[in-house]
Amino acid sequence: MIEVKDINKSFNEVAVLKKITADFQPGIVNLIIGRSGSGKTVLLKTIVGLHTPDSGDVLFNGRNFFQLNNTNRRYIRREIGMLFQGGALFDWATVEENVRFPLDFFTDWTKKEKEIRVSFCLERVNLLHAAKLMPSELSGGMQKRVAIARAISLNPKYLFCDEPNSGLDPQTSAVIDHLIFEITHEYKITTVVNTHDLNSVLRIGEKIIFIHQGQKWWEGDRNTILTSQNEELRDYLIASEVLIKSGIVK
Amino acid sequence: MNFFYLAGLYFVFLKRVFSKPEKQKFYLKNIFTELWNLGISSIGIVAIISFFIGAVITLQTAYNVTSPLFPLYLIGLGTRDSMILEFSSTIVSLILAGKIGSSIAGEIGTMRVTEQIDALETMGVNPASFLVMPKIVAMLVMSPVLNIFSVFIGILGGYITVWATSVIPLNDFLYGVTTEFIPFYVTYSLVKSTVFGFIITSVSAFQGFYVKGGSLEVGRAGTRSVVYSSILILIFNLILTQLLLA
Repeated sequence: MIEVKDINKSFNEVAVLKKITADFQPGIVNLIIGRSGSGKTVLLKTIVGLHTPDSGDVLFNGRNFFQLNNTNRRYIRREIGMLFQGGALFDWATVEENVRFPLDFFTDWTKKEKEIRVSFCLERVNLLHAAKLMPSELSGGMQKRVAIARAISLNPKYLFCDEPNSGLDPQTSAVIDHLIFEITHEYKITTVVNTHDLNSVLRIGEKIIFIHQGQKWWEGDRNTILTSQNEELRDYLIASEVLIKSGIVK
Repeated sequence: MNFFYLAGLYFVFLKRVFSKPEKQKFYLKNIFTELWNLGISSIGIVAIISFFIGAVITLQTAYNVTSPLFPLYLIGLGTRDSMILEFSSTIVSLILAGKIGSSIAGEIGTMRVTEQIDALETMGVNPASFLVMPKIVAMLVMSPVLNIFSVFIGILGGYITVWATSVIPLNDFLYGVTTEFIPFYVTYSLVKSTVFGFIITSVSAFQGFYVKGGSLEVGRAGTRSVVYSSILILIFNLILTQLLLA
């Protein structure tokens, strides 16, 4: 489980996160939703340690990340897989080398063992045929899938996804959502997904946290989100054409 | 204030760059790649520029010597010493600051804005060390090599010019190149080129590593890296000359 306690973060004296407290449960897909600029990405990057909070704690199974020394932080980081908004594949390496990178760096496995693991991960995202291609030769959706394969190559305990559907068409978005959902349940990973795609919310949101202006406004799941009386959340939902067209929200 | 902040950040960055590598095999492989990318691939431009500068120094000296009392062999000696003392270390480094510096800043800056550096950080890899240290080590190795290479090509340029134009007797030129040689000049030149190589790679990588924004900022980081590297090279040229030749 990941616990976030009273996180405050500001940039140039502008408060971006204000006393956010939340927990993210293992084995399910936890979503952070909110409008653009609400602080979702900053929260996600603070949890994985890319930003240092002004105050507050982030605990990975009870281990307080920001109170650990660099060596121990690195151990936690090796338990983390992260899917970045643009994929963040290493452009100097092939698909296969991208997926193998964490294995090369952090394991003493034999070449054969690594090959088996890379093939397994690529097979899992249906991209075994693209192993020898360079990232620049892949479509946006394929790049995201390779990034997922790389993120799971070390069997992470925690998977973080920053806007996994941004820039993708609805069908590819659905493929990515299902992949994240399946992987989370298959390997009992604590998954945290940052999104503003309401289709994703309804598809995979087993636990949802709604962030507005740097504060947590609502917490629930995909079954309760549409009936919530929280005004800010309702305003946010009404902005979704999908919900308006389907008549769920007027 | 901004200057002190940047200077402090630069030294913090260097501390990260030179922290102990985790997977040394990986680093070694990257060093060899960078030896090629930064060093071997620069041989062409260094050769062309050195050849023509050596030729021009020879011609200019020869055409400006009008006194019959001036020994002609000094033209060869002047070409050799100009190449060793200043051209092959300082001028070649300024050219490399343009070629290599902008390339490093662009490469690392692009990795920053496309979140590749964040990806390394999240995995628990020290990106400063992983990406930058091999470049610095490669440049520390290749700068003196390129320096010596440049000296020889420059002298060759002078030799071929003398042979082609007969501006002075070839024997006088050769005698000048081989006489009154001061070995310390080579040491001085090698020290300078090594320091300049470090400045080019570390300053350019620093500019790229802390890029914020998008492609526009990456371009600006490339420009800044060339300007700052060049200024630092000129300042350190002055300091090292005073320290080593005084």
